[in-house]
Amino acid sequence: MTPISFILLIIGIPLALMLLYVFIRGSMGLRKYILTRIGLTLPMVFILASLVFFIMRVLPGDPVRSALGPRGTAEQAEHMRQALGLDKPLIVQYGIFLKDIITLNFGNSMVGGHRPIIDEMSERFPATLELIVPASILALAIGIIGGALAASRRKAAADYFLRVYSVVIYSLPIFWFGLMLQLLFGIQLKLLPVAGRIDPIIRTTLEPVTNMYLIDSLISGNWPALGSAVSHLILPTITLGLVLSGVFVRMTRINVIETLQADYIAAARARGIREKVVVYGHALKNAMIPVITLIGLQVAILLAGAVLTETIFNWPGMGGYLVQRISARDYTAVQSVIAMFALLVALISLTVDLIYSLLDPRVRY
Amino acid sequence: MPAEPLFSIRNLTVEYATRAGAVKAAEDVSFDIRREEILGLVGESGCGKSTLGKALMRLHRTPARITGGELLFDGRDLMKLTEDEMRAVRGAEIGMVFQDPMTSLNPVQRIIEHLTETVRAHEPRTTDQEARERAAVLAEKLGIRSERLKEYPHQMSGGMRQRVMISLALALRAKLVIADEPTTSLDVIVEAKFLDLLRELRREFGLTILLITHNIGVVAEIADRVAVMYAARLVEIGDVQDIFASPKHPYTQGLLRSVPNIQLDGESLYKMEGMPPNLLHPPRGCRFHPRCPFAMEICRDYSPELQAVDGDHFTACWLYHKTTGKEGAKNG
Amino acid sequence: MPSIDENGIEIKQKTEAWKSDLQRVGFVRRLFMARKWYGADWWFVAISAVMVAGFIFIALFPGLLAPYASDEIVGTSFLSPGAYPVVPVLLARSESSAQTLLDLAVPEDSERPVVGVLMGGPTATALRERAQELDNQLVSQGSDLRLRPRIERYATMEELLEAVDAGEVHAAVVDLHEFEKLAANYPDLRAGDSITGETAAAGGFIMGTNEIGQDVFSRLIWGTRIAIIVGFSSSIISLLFGLPLGLLAGYLGGTFDRLLSLLMDSLYAFPGLILAIAITAVLGPSMYNVIIAISVLYVPTYYRIVRGQTLAVKEEVYIEAARSIGARRWEILWRYIYPNVIPSIAIIFSVNVADAILTGAGLSFLGLGMPPTIADWGIDLARGQRFIQTAWWLITYPGLAIMLVVLAFTMMGEGLMEIYNPKLRER
Repeated sequence: MTPISFILLIIGIPLALMLLYVFIRGSMGLRKYILTRIGLTLPMVFILASLVFFIMRVLPGDPVRSALGPRGTAEQAEHMRQALGLDKPLIVQYGIFLKDIITLNFGNSMVGGHRPIIDEMSERFPATLELIVPASILALAIGIIGGALAASRRKAAADYFLRVYSVVIYSLPIFWFGLMLQLLFGIQLKLLPVAGRIDPIIRTTLEPVTNMYLIDSLISGNWPALGSAVSHLILPTITLGLVLSGVFVRMTRINVIETLQADYIAAARARGIREKVVVYGHALKNAMIPVITLIGLQVAILLAGAVLTETIFNWPGMGGYLVQRISARDYTAVQSVIAMFALLVALISLTVDLIYSLLDPRVRY
Repeated sequence: MPAEPLFSIRNLTVEYATRAGAVKAAEDVSFDIRREEILGLVGESGCGKSTLGKALMRLHRTPARITGGELLFDGRDLMKLTEDEMRAVRGAEIGMVFQDPMTSLNPVQRIIEHLTETVRAHEPRTTDQEARERAAVLAEKLGIRSERLKEYPHQMSGGMRQRVMISLALALRAKLVIADEPTTSLDVIVEAKFLDLLRELRREFGLTILLITHNIGVVAEIADRVAVMYAARLVEIGDVQDIFASPKHPYTQGLLRSVPNIQLDGESLYKMEGMPPNLLHPPRGCRFHPRCPFAMEICRDYSPELQAVDGDHFTACWLYHKTTGKEGAKNG
Repeated sequence: MPSIDENGIEIKQKTEAWKSDLQRVGFVRRLFMARKWYGADWWFVAISAVMVAGFIFIALFPGLLAPYASDEIVGTSFLSPGAYPVVPVLLARSESSAQTLLDLAVPEDSERPVVGVLMGGPTATALRERAQELDNQLVSQGSDLRLRPRIERYATMEELLEAVDAGEVHAAVVDLHEFEKLAANYPDLRAGDSITGETAAAGGFIMGTNEIGQDVFSRLIWGTRIAIIVGFSSSIISLLFGLPLGLLAGYLGGTFDRLLSLLMDSLYAFPGLILAIAITAVLGPSMYNVIIAISVLYVPTYYRIVRGQTLAVKEEVYIEAARSIGARRWEILWRYIYPNVIPSIAIIFSVNVADAILTGAGLSFLGLGMPPTIADWGIDLARGQRFIQTAWWLITYPGLAIMLVVLAFTMMGEGLMEIYNPKLRER
């Protein structure tokens, strides 16, 4: 079993179990909601995958010619076309492409070692996961606490500060922010490493299981590896997490402000509930319901940010792989990576919606 | 025989700071809420009655603030309490029921959680189990079956939710319940049931109720006394029978005449002249004078004080000021 | 039931009153009137509007501000901000006849002149190379003069200047700017011409020079043009597609709406940059391709907002009224619904330009945007990244420029949104 299918299982099985549980225990309304959501997710993957396929095939530009370079002969090109199935009618190619996505078998890379693309992604995907999970947690923590703080101190200094923060952060080019962090912490202060996931020497002592170094080093109790992995992770996490947090602060603030004007908040105050409990218990909990949905839509920013962050920090993840394959003109790989991203987007948004349905009793019952 | 007042409001002034200037939502308002009475506070929307209701519990939020007056509740001036002491009063001694039961319960909290949270906010030593039991007993009395306590607000009807709101106000045996338009969003039958419940609760718990409403019919049905507000000021207060039988202030008269009556046949409904004033720039003198059919010279320049007309019936109108009123008219 | 009024809206009425005042006047007048009510937000908008106007001005007339052309090589490479390029000049006593390096040439058999230099550093190199070069010329011209000075090295500038002053050496080669700092102490010394032809007038570069000696500041100014062009044209193209599609989908509803919304929502949820990467990777790097790729990304943004607003407006009473008096569908769409979505569009447009500039810079940074010869901030950043260890200014300034432009547009949209409709932007 390849690591990537292993990871998909790790994510997929609990998700499926959760779905099943909610489906059986939930009300009619909830069942309908879940079915509708799944009904919308599958076409989304399909549409995105198709879009990528047609962009790659219909737009001018010949993948084979550019892969072979100027010295490639017509014979070589013909041979490559046959090997890749590019000589078949477009509609047949499309069918094969869809089948490949379903079976997660993307064929071999066009250039280089001609390794199966799925193997290459298996090495890269865990790295991306290891970057985006801590970054999302950081962004959520800053976003939710900051947003609730700004909303509860509306028009006070803290509010204006956090609003300026969120606008400035939103305007930060993530790649530049990452470089600035490298400049400060890596080059000036020499505190943290600026490239890679782990010290290459320590890497050799680590037994790859999931290919997520944090988890692998924890499982095997390899503390030097854990330390090295953590120190390599800090700057990329801050880069991606901070950039994402601006949007979260903004969304949480608006929704908490709106919730704080609700009657049940006034009613809770009239019952003598403490103000802290009113803001962080009642208001925040209600505001999180719309915020969760909005967070689901931020997956786009998260993944786009991950591509740039990986490039800057030489992080061997999917984003770095995508950019590298593009420079190598390896269209099969590019197409597969993007399809993989589409799958990831769909999976995350489905999970977010499920959490939403569990949080909101009006959907649950 | 007027009982000793539970809550004496003295010269209360509440202001809203707007960028265009300060707006007084309640100006120099004084009245008593007597023990175990139901006092109706009526007025048009925008006259400041809801703001007043919130200010009585110091629940007003910025930009509103109390700029003067005393709130003597059960022998204490609430204005002198710290915010934390005030919090202890809210819910435990004064409860509040809001206008819309659909929106005044937290949608992600079960009913029972509302009740236990309230109890434990005031009596932190109560165990969760005790709080639950107390809640169940109380709910039973209010006609809420205990299994329904596990439900979420959206699963209940409007009337049921309003009962929950009452039970929340009573969870700690509050002496006074301020009900702000509690029946506005209920239909007529549910409203009638709800008013019965209020009456019953007063009997059973010795409850005092301040009923803020624009609905004269509700007041007539349930209140012992009525206070009428116009443009941030109290214009008349007295026994419900007295006021309905012989309203003194021209505004009250107009108000009562504009209420549709089933016996009223053929005759078209009275409609008061003019519009309520803009509180940002209220008229000088008596605030009602631009709309008053009996306006005199003095009304333009001097604002009348609340004075007794007979016994327990007070009004703020120059027509009834036996001395100054006439002199003022002559001088003009 | 008898009642005075349907609802018990209290003091809110006052705020409603001025709001309706504001709503009676046009969008632009409303913006000015709003200053009183919105305070900080209004200033947000005003300040950012000035910034936006400034950037547009720079983009229109970069020549006025930029001291050099974007691709002109104007100095030594890797000059740090404010540092002067080294101008090696010949220094001698005032009475000396040595004016240029060539004046030090002597017949082959006579005594070689002594020239002092600072130990190490660029002046010594310049002297060695230039003297060698001139000597070779003399040889090839068949002259009997030879330029082979003896080079004497000194540790500090003071020692060197003392040596010239005292006549220990015939002349010295020093950096003009270094000498000018100390010139007052040595009234008898005179600086000659530059030995390399480097002009003294070149002055410092406020943001330094890059790896091939281009002025970073000038490239920054010229880069504004690309950012503004990419931002505006791709946003306009997205708008041209998104607006009518959104109006139609929202107004017509049905299958058309459902299918289109599914497509748009999928596009919206997918990371825009990755899609843009795919498109530009196929089309190849050029400004037009970047614009096309970015336009595709932002069509759903407009579509979603316009469709949502259309759905909301469609239910309004006055639309019902218009329909009941027999207004035609297109008429309702054009005369009633379309004007209502315009203010939201203005806000989204502003934020969208910001997003487009960011995405464009990201693409260029990855090497998939502009062709590498163009003065573009993303490209400058990507080029500078290689020299992060030595030349911090190469990456600091272009990134700062991107941030400022994006900030101006975002702040304008943000302020307008807080004023007009805080719930509008959901991302």
